[in-house]
Amino acid sequence: MIKSEMKEKQLARLLVSAPPLLFLIVFFVAPSLIMILTSFRFPGEFGGLAPVTPPSDKAIGEYGFTSDAYQFFFSDFIYTEIFLKSFAVAFGTTLICLILAYPLAVLIARSRKHLRNLMVLLVILPFASNFLIRIYAWMIILGPESALSHFVNTVLAAFGIAPVTLLFSPFAVLVGMVYVHLPFMVLPLYTNLEKHDPSLLDAAQDLGANAWQRFWRVTWPLSLPGVFSGSALVFIPVLGMFAVPDILGGTGDILIGNLIKDQFLGTRDWPFGSALSIMLTLAVLSVAGLTTWFARSASGQRAT
Amino acid sequence: MNSPRLLFFLLVSLLTFAAGCSPQNPDAGNSGKNVLHLFNWNNYIAPETVARFEKSCKCDLSQDYYADNEEMLAKLAAGATGYDVIVPTGNAIDTLIRQGALRPLDKSLLPNFRNINPAYLDTTFDPGNIYSVPYAYTLSLLGFNKEKLEQLGLPTDTWAIIFEPKYLEKIRGRVTVLDSQRELMAAALKYLGYSVNDTDERHWQEAADLIVRAKPYWAAFSNTSYIKELAVGNLWVAHGYSNDMFQAALDAQKTGRKFTISYSTPKEGAVLAVDSMVLHKSGKRPDLAHQFINFMLDGKNSAELTNLIGSGNPNLDALQYIQPGIASNKAIFPDPELIARLEMLRDLDRKQRRLLSRLWTEIKLR
Repeated sequence: MIKSEMKEKQLARLLVSAPPLLFLIVFFVAPSLIMILTSFRFPGEFGGLAPVTPPSDKAIGEYGFTSDAYQFFFSDFIYTEIFLKSFAVAFGTTLICLILAYPLAVLIARSRKHLRNLMVLLVILPFASNFLIRIYAWMIILGPESALSHFVNTVLAAFGIAPVTLLFSPFAVLVGMVYVHLPFMVLPLYTNLEKHDPSLLDAAQDLGANAWQRFWRVTWPLSLPGVFSGSALVFIPVLGMFAVPDILGGTGDILIGNLIKDQFLGTRDWPFGSALSIMLTLAVLSVAGLTTWFARSASGQRAT
Repeated sequence: MNSPRLLFFLLVSLLTFAAGCSPQNPDAGNSGKNVLHLFNWNNYIAPETVARFEKSCKCDLSQDYYADNEEMLAKLAAGATGYDVIVPTGNAIDTLIRQGALRPLDKSLLPNFRNINPAYLDTTFDPGNIYSVPYAYTLSLLGFNKEKLEQLGLPTDTWAIIFEPKYLEKIRGRVTVLDSQRELMAAALKYLGYSVNDTDERHWQEAADLIVRAKPYWAAFSNTSYIKELAVGNLWVAHGYSNDMFQAALDAQKTGRKFTISYSTPKEGAVLAVDSMVLHKSGKRPDLAHQFINFMLDGKNSAELTNLIGSGNPNLDALQYIQPGIASNKAIFPDPELIARLEMLRDLDRKQRRLLSRLWTEIKLR
């Protein structure tokens, strides 16, 4: 009897976990495997891939497998440099998003119920219009003839500083990145903060904690899981983003996403593009792993 | 095409958010009707021409679009099929011919073929025009804010304006260049006195050094946004395509700006891109395709495109229908002396492509 119950439990667990598992296999594992295989092949003469088996008619070009793409990656430091730079941009974006999103999330979480829903709706509202259109809008906002540019340069002139151009700069890229990804930070933070028991803060106050101590000793540690999931949701997409630097960036703002896109649409070098993608996937997985580890150790600390 | 490749491409599309890039199957939902599938550049046929063709052939013209040759080749490589007519540029035609992806033309069905200027026939890509008929052409040249450059006393007939710091100093942050490895390198190579198809690595390095030296003065690499930025006055010089400059000039004029956008081909020479109509093997209606090609070779139909977007026109019969302002524009219809200095880009082999890509990455990162 106990045995059959266990079997039932196992079956139920299988049924519940099968769809997401299948999803992961079809949309993550299989494509990754294809990509790994691709990265070890030769690029075809016209784009695409060179054949695995020797071409039957006449021996044109290479065939089979090679680690060329990886050797090429390590043959020049610039590729590593681009990875480091992309990580720096992703880290900066995540940090700024966190600083901007946290007060907003606290504000929403501590508002009255009906206001809360309205505010969450407002955070999500920008998704209603296309992402590219919103980025193009920033071209106008940051353009040299825009009100913002005039204002910034008037203020700078008052301090005797030479005028600056906002558009086509690393600054513009950062603004675009933060703007696009801010909701991804606000929402997980809000869902976390909303669950906090307000009586904890009252208790802390009764025990003589001031506002800062109440935040730093109570709210912040409790919100860490939200901080980590929000950070992952921002950090990872920023790492692969190519549209924002393409549109808002200047002449030196290439990121890893642009490089990968270039391999497929510009250079027709699928193996090298795949190799770059795999390295990026590995990097993202390690970041995700680290985040989970941090999050777990943070919640473990709280339990003790 | 094999399915791993398709799956792979789908993944790439997903990863790159390239929503508009999924492989098409133009046949879906159109069975039973007379439909011609055209794979064309964005905005590369006048709507009234389409309407008249549909009336004359009693069929529908279904169009899919691409923004550059590499994108078109990538989509075909990923398994897009069913296109009757494609309009690629010379080097892409070369690739398609060598792939065996094209169907030879039946000239007996194309009486209007004789309208084409022989200067644009019999290219190195397709000797004897077995597969391709010229459709229109563009030049890669310089567009500029006429008043501003006159005021600054800068030359407008040389690549020096985008490469020489002594000129760039006066227009810092007001210049964009094409975000294309081949086009920008071609401009630099031409300025240095080499061929656009030069593959000598030392010459490439020289060109890359020239670009890196000039880069701090440029605002950005731009493939499309320069049209608007020129027209509103944010940019003073842009390296770009002749039909885009035509658009920018028109926009500036229509919105009543106090300046005019002008464009000229640098005296060192430039890239000439001839787009030709070809028949793809996967097309199901070669009959309609020939009908379409012959229709587009008619002078009046061909002229409509030039009047719409200011493209160069290789059709001698079309000249009489082209607006005089366009027909007399030297940047669109260059004189024979300049034509001799124009070059068409040839495709690079995969090793050269990888090398150029590394050089390009370096340029972008510095």
